[in-house]
Amino acid sequence: MKHRQGAGLKLRGIHRQFEGRPVINHLDLDVAPGEFLAIIGPSGCGKSTLLRLLAHLDQADQGTLDRSEADLDVAFVFQDPCLMPWRSVIDNVALPLELQGVPRHHRIPAAEALLRTVGLGDAQGKFPQQLSGGMKMRVSLARALITRPDLLLLDEPFAALDDITRHHLDDHLQSLWLSHPMTVVFVTHSLSEAVYLADRVIVLSAGGGNITLDYKVPLPHPRTAASRLSTPFIDHLRTVSEAFEGHSRTLA
Amino acid sequence: MKDLRLLKIIGLGMLMLILSACKGSPDDPPAEGAFKADIQLDWVPEPEFGGYYAARDSGLFSQEHLEVHLKPGGPGVPTLQLIESGQVTFGITTADNILIARDRGADLVALFALYQTFPAGIMVHAERGLHGLEDVFKEGTLAMEPGTPTFKFLEKRFGFHHIHVVPYTNNLSPFLHDPQLAQQCYVTAEPIAARRAGASPFVFPISDAGYNPYSGILVTKREVLIKHKDEVRRLIRAIKAGWTAYLKDPTSANQAMHQLNPTMDEATFEASSKIQAPLIVGSPGTPIGQMTLERWQTLSGQLVELGLIQPSDPQSAFEPSE
Amino acid sequence: MKPLSGVLWLPPLMSFVLITGLIECSIILMDLPAYLAPRPSAVALALFIHAEELLKATRHTGIAAITGLGMSAILGALLAITLASHPLIRRAFYPYAVFFQTVPIIAIAPMLVIWFGYGQGAVVAASFIVSVSPIIANTLTGLLSTDPALLDLFRIAKASRLDTLFKLRIPGAIPHFLTGLRIASGLAVIGAIVGEFVADSYEDGGGIGTAVEIALKEQRTDLVFAAVLMSSLLGLLIFWLVSGLNQLSLKYWHLGEFKDS
Repeated sequence: MKHRQGAGLKLRGIHRQFEGRPVINHLDLDVAPGEFLAIIGPSGCGKSTLLRLLAHLDQADQGTLDRSEADLDVAFVFQDPCLMPWRSVIDNVALPLELQGVPRHHRIPAAEALLRTVGLGDAQGKFPQQLSGGMKMRVSLARALITRPDLLLLDEPFAALDDITRHHLDDHLQSLWLSHPMTVVFVTHSLSEAVYLADRVIVLSAGGGNITLDYKVPLPHPRTAASRLSTPFIDHLRTVSEAFEGHSRTLA
Repeated sequence: MKDLRLLKIIGLGMLMLILSACKGSPDDPPAEGAFKADIQLDWVPEPEFGGYYAARDSGLFSQEHLEVHLKPGGPGVPTLQLIESGQVTFGITTADNILIARDRGADLVALFALYQTFPAGIMVHAERGLHGLEDVFKEGTLAMEPGTPTFKFLEKRFGFHHIHVVPYTNNLSPFLHDPQLAQQCYVTAEPIAARRAGASPFVFPISDAGYNPYSGILVTKREVLIKHKDEVRRLIRAIKAGWTAYLKDPTSANQAMHQLNPTMDEATFEASSKIQAPLIVGSPGTPIGQMTLERWQTLSGQLVELGLIQPSDPQSAFEPSE
Repeated sequence: MKPLSGVLWLPPLMSFVLITGLIECSIILMDLPAYLAPRPSAVALALFIHAEELLKATRHTGIAAITGLGMSAILGALLAITLASHPLIRRAFYPYAVFFQTVPIIAIAPMLVIWFGYGQGAVVAASFIVSVSPIIANTLTGLLSTDPALLDLFRIAKASRLDTLFKLRIPGAIPHFLTGLRIASGLAVIGAIVGEFVADSYEDGGGIGTAVEIALKEQRTDLVFAAVLMSSLLGLLIFWLVSGLNQLSLKYWHLGEFKDS
């Protein structure tokens, strides 16, 4: 049983370039254990690259990336739910534990529990082709959570879904984070989603990966549908939006 | 000065014209109105077609106002189908194939039979010490093309129960590798090649076992014979002359064929043309290419017995020689 | 179910009847002789009269073709997995896989005979050689075109190379493998027939290839076509079996449970 709060991250001078063009430009960033960090920015600002670096799927050209623990459990959620079509829903969810060598009689109940949490308790025996987009994303979330990761990385996970489904999934993610303390780095295009979910919102500049805004969102958790319409929320959203557009305008 | 140069040019041109006429190239068309005849050979150019190349290259065809194209064949060339469908006028085949084709409805006529003795045989390793053809069928392996009249004849006569019968693929290496392997052959070809490869082959002629169809037969459709009776007569005359010349001296025709078939070397050409001579010449006084009704009747009876054809009179299967 | 199966079989049956009817009429109208173009009715008659020998020959070839196809499936898949394991191995050995595709059987016939002797062994080998290439090529494509996002997921989950191979790459490559198998099924029949031409033994009468050869020598065009028809039916049968296998695994793919350890 883990008692960790989640991973802490310290990035210093992280530099990554592709074909001579810097995608992340000498970035410094601290992420506190258990923090919910949202990263927004226009296309090509390096947010996906940053996420891949955090996942150790990619190596920075320069700089250091320190993690609070040496052996971290990392989970990643892509925009595509990425389920294996030849496996049932429950076997998809249980996959990370299976890869760790956890026996069936342990991992299946764990998967069942998570599926119930995301409201798919009845769908265990179904196959991905039988699910809607939103349901598949919920399965993907459940799979990401099954190892109780220290660090959860999400790359625009709900971008392909309609607004209503998106709001529901935002709430699922929020409740999962609240019940399983972990550090979350959430990349999104949606300013309101960032402000809704995160403790802290970071805006990256276009073509260069510099932080143009590092903004704390001090709203209490859990946030609800009503929160989206509250005055403090709208104020925070405006601030972030102005910083975002202001910078975008100067570059346009 | 200019006139002298012009004269030289004209003189050179005339000289080249004369020289090219003297070369007697096979593609040189003879006089207008020559009868065009293409002859489909059923194998690659080898001594079994020597007389045809001799006739062509010494101008015997052009003398008879014939334009003859010799078409080399090879494994699997469908000679009879080419004749039946009209794609070629003449071809070379064996008597049994003609009787079978006639039984199937094709009115083919044999015009000239080169081999009085069937050149086919069974080749074995001399080390086996076999005395007669019947010994071949006592043990070991026999490589033979299936379904031929020869195959069926041997099967009926000797039985294949004690041997393995396997395909023959025109490749000598199975024979060279297996001392217990016997294979079909033409005496003019495989035994010579086997000897050159270091083996000691011994051949049992199929004709000795009682199966002796005419072969190296020039065949055509009856309608060709009817329509071009005189031309066909001239063609056969030229062919006979060509063969007579080839039997006297095969050297230049062998050279011409060797150009077309470089895989067979000159020594083999020589040995092969020597071996086939007695098979071509029948009893003394027999004209070359001769066919008798009696032998056709014998063959017909044998094919009926083998279940290959219905009984019929082979009289119209061949054109008696003059 | 009954009316549905009627609908499935009706169109090909109708087109078959139409085409053979047209051919029969054309041959009669053009007055083509039997030794050049046998009428479908003559072919059907020959098929009926010689049914026993033709079925025996088809069975002979069919056993060799199915065995050859089975070997292609197993060895082809294993070779593809080996080639997929490392780019260096792939570069070094893939040209040999292409070699299988281009070698003319008649050229290597003596070698087949030396290694396997005359008979079913050599025929199965010929069937294998001719049919293995599409299985290697298609399976390899499947193994190399694994979803990169899933590969990332496996990396992040610190999966072993073996787990990535058996739990991700191979299951993902199965549709490609089955495509290769479908293509290979017809080739296996052709390979067996060509193998018969060069290396079978005639002890038990031989296979369909031998039957075609004999019919050609005996100038029985109706029998030639009858034997060729049997070989086509054999090819269709094997193709149908492989398609059935395909349907079965798709069924498992979509609806069944993949039992893991």
